Amino acid sequence: MLASIPSSTLDGIDGAAVDVEVHVTNGLPAFTIVGLPDASCREARDRVRAAVESSDLSWPMQRITVNLAPTCVRKVGAGLDLPIGLGILAASEQIPLESLSDISAVGELGLDGSLRPVPGILPMVDVLKTDRVIVAAADAGVAALGAGDRVRPVRRLRDIVDVVSEGLPWPHVEPPRCDDEVADEPDLADVRGQASARRALEIAAAGGHHLLLIGPPGGGKTMLARRLPGLLPDLSPEAARLVTRVHSAAAIRLPGSGLVRRPPFRAPHHSASMAALVGGGSGRVLPGEISVATEGVLFLDELGEFAPSVLDGLRQPLEEGVVRVARSGGMREHPANVLLVAAMNPCPCGEGGSVSCRCGPSARMRYSRRISGPVLDRLDVMVHVDRPSPTALLEREPGEPSSAVAERVARVRELALGRGARTNASLTREQLEDSAPLDPDATDVLHSALSDGRLSARGAMRVRAVARTIRDLDDGGPTLRARDVYSAIGFRVRPPMGSFDA
Amino acid sequence: MREDARAAALGALGGATPLRLHRLLAERSVGEAYAAVGSGSLGAEVAPVDVLAQWRRELGDMDLGTLSDRLDTTGALVSTLRDPTHPLQLVNDVDPAPLLFCCGALPDASLAHVAVIGTRRASSIGREVAREIGMGLAEAGVVVVSGLALGIDGEAHRGALLVDGAPPLAVVGSGVDVVYPKRHRELWAGVVAAGAVVSEAPLAARPEPWRFPARNRLIAAFSDLVVVVESRAAGGSLLTVEQALRRDVEVMSVPGSVRNRAAEGTNQLLVDGCAPARDVVDVLVALGLSQTSLAARRACADAHTAAESAVADRPGSPAPPAPDARSAVVLDAIDDGPTSMDEVVDRSGLGVLEVYAHVEELVANGLVVRDGARIRRHC
Repeated sequence: MLASIPSSTLDGIDGAAVDVEVHVTNGLPAFTIVGLPDASCREARDRVRAAVESSDLSWPMQRITVNLAPTCVRKVGAGLDLPIGLGILAASEQIPLESLSDISAVGELGLDGSLRPVPGILPMVDVLKTDRVIVAAADAGVAALGAGDRVRPVRRLRDIVDVVSEGLPWPHVEPPRCDDEVADEPDLADVRGQASARRALEIAAAGGHHLLLIGPPGGGKTMLARRLPGLLPDLSPEAARLVTRVHSAAAIRLPGSGLVRRPPFRAPHHSASMAALVGGGSGRVLPGEISVATEGVLFLDELGEFAPSVLDGLRQPLEEGVVRVARSGGMREHPANVLLVAAMNPCPCGEGGSVSCRCGPSARMRYSRRISGPVLDRLDVMVHVDRPSPTALLEREPGEPSSAVAERVARVRELALGRGARTNASLTREQLEDSAPLDPDATDVLHSALSDGRLSARGAMRVRAVARTIRDLDDGGPTLRARDVYSAIGFRVRPPMGSFDA
Repeated sequence: MREDARAAALGALGGATPLRLHRLLAERSVGEAYAAVGSGSLGAEVAPVDVLAQWRRELGDMDLGTLSDRLDTTGALVSTLRDPTHPLQLVNDVDPAPLLFCCGALPDASLAHVAVIGTRRASSIGREVAREIGMGLAEAGVVVVSGLALGIDGEAHRGALLVDGAPPLAVVGSGVDVVYPKRHRELWAGVVAAGAVVSEAPLAARPEPWRFPARNRLIAAFSDLVVVVESRAAGGSLLTVEQALRRDVEVMSVPGSVRNRAAEGTNQLLVDGCAPARDVVDVLVALGLSQTSLAARRACADAHTAAESAVADRPGSPAPPAPDARSAVVLDAIDDGPTSMDEVVDRSGLGVLEVYAHVEELVANGLVVRDGARIRRHC
């Protein structure tokens, strides 16, 4: 007999519909799976058999052929265990074939017949159009984001058999507890002193400007960077769905409610490979850190220690907001709308500039050369993070809390949306001309900075965007004043240690 | 066969120390010395026998044509002790340099020569002082002698080249055709054009560390006075100081902050009894080229400001406006020494964005300079 169960597999961060066809016929007992299964998928043979037998059902001593259609798509993961199991039960007439009409299923089977969650459940249920979608109970919350009340969460294979053959109602599954994500985010109130860095953080958050933190070890660069997501507004519904899809595909633990509502924060170690950062892998293209951090913050600590080729790989995604990873199996486009925060020491010993620095001029030069100009060019705001003074450290008064800063940030982001851009940083040249006019003094300032070579043409545009954010944070006035432009130049990226011999 | 190529060949022999070359060339002309090495007729009074044998082999392998070509392309001149062109200071030295390569024109030996030396890892203030002293000396007709190294040495020459004054003299550790450090390529060419770059090292010699103490000895030998601008507690500059003391050359030291590691050595020199050099006037007074009077100091300071603004002024840029009231508050909050932005924010009581704007404006107007991560007043 033949049974066919709709299911799906993961292809990049998207689901791909798969029909699981099971044919059971007389002949020597055998079990073959065809249709481009990967190793974990081929192992389904043993898992499904054990699960069926553990569920008080019998394994047909017949010839079983499973075909995963379409055969051109590579099937990955154990999510096809459940449809294979159901297909075998139907084809061997242990459950009525017609009862499975308009049912699709995704889930991994345990040897005891229990159902386990699978990564990427959200994009996978997105492509399932049946009236009922069976998923593991643990996946119920996330799956409901894609399939709503069509989701039928189940704990065990046996439960499904009971429903479809005995006519019992679908079991009730308690929705998982929603823990409050926001509570995890560290607050800016914990930071003592660091007036400049706080302000730089606010500018970066408000305008979406990539940020470079430079300072000695122990200055608080990491502490500051971790507080950046807390300044960003909640994700919009579309953004939340996108981030949840990516996280689901990348097998990252999702919050209890299933939907990622807060901007993600990712801090990959500097040993990260190109594939880890921009995405890739052999066979299956996994989203990289830059995609996982999309709509949130990508923090690269010790920027100088990253492999230069890996950093250069970030240039195009930072520019376009998407990363296209091409492999022999095809090209995948993943989102990459990150707010980049980079941190580095001013020199190898970390004390750069101060009198206790032990590095020779050539060592410092080499260190600053480790980061290519084009990468530095993408960073619009730079701030030096010194170790806080002892008096600031012992200050009892907490700093301004994140919530207060976040309010200002949200206001500025609204303004940017009104100008037709996601953030001020993504304003095009034309939009800048319209929305960031310079008053005569500001024009003079920019003109002299351009004519004596302190700013490049591209740099001047970036300065203008940052100045727009600074004005927005101040009073939101229409034109940019000289002081806004001066502040923006003050936060401009320059060689970390100043000039050496110039 | 060309005399200078033969001399260059002798200088390039392995183990040809100044002492051995001196024994070789003191009594012989270059041609005689060359023939003597080649024929093996020298005795152990010049060098050990095995070294002489080695020299003989090396000389046989050497291609004088290539050497001549290299001398021509570099434009380098070779002089030996008996040449009239050999610098007088080196002929009469306690540790004479028997052979010298020179690019450019050696400054007149009758001019006062002052070495301005210091650490490669100089603070930005140290570099500024070196540049100012270099400029002031050149202006006063004094030859600035230095080593073209990174940091103080290079800055002294850079200063000397800023004005149309006495020619500078650089004594380098590598061959005169090997630019080191590479970053100083332009500066090197500037010194060759205005004055001279000299070296004892043969052509194509790499800047090996052991060449530098010998180089420092030549700096001391050339100079009538040595000014150390910044030096760490132990460093090459102090070797030059030792060499200077051996030759009874006066040493002056620029006082530095006690917190500045780059000034540890110079401050120790002051403790040991060196005369302090606060600026170029102190140096000129020590040379007897200037009277120690307030007027002289003031005149000199004025000349500097004029010269500096001549350098700094770009055509078309208006004179820096006087800071307004808020800018003045920010300027007040900035020390003469390095100050962090947060300190300025704290002291001024103004908002961060406002402080950044004022500081950037003050930087643009030249009242404040950036010093790595910090800022300080321009003095």
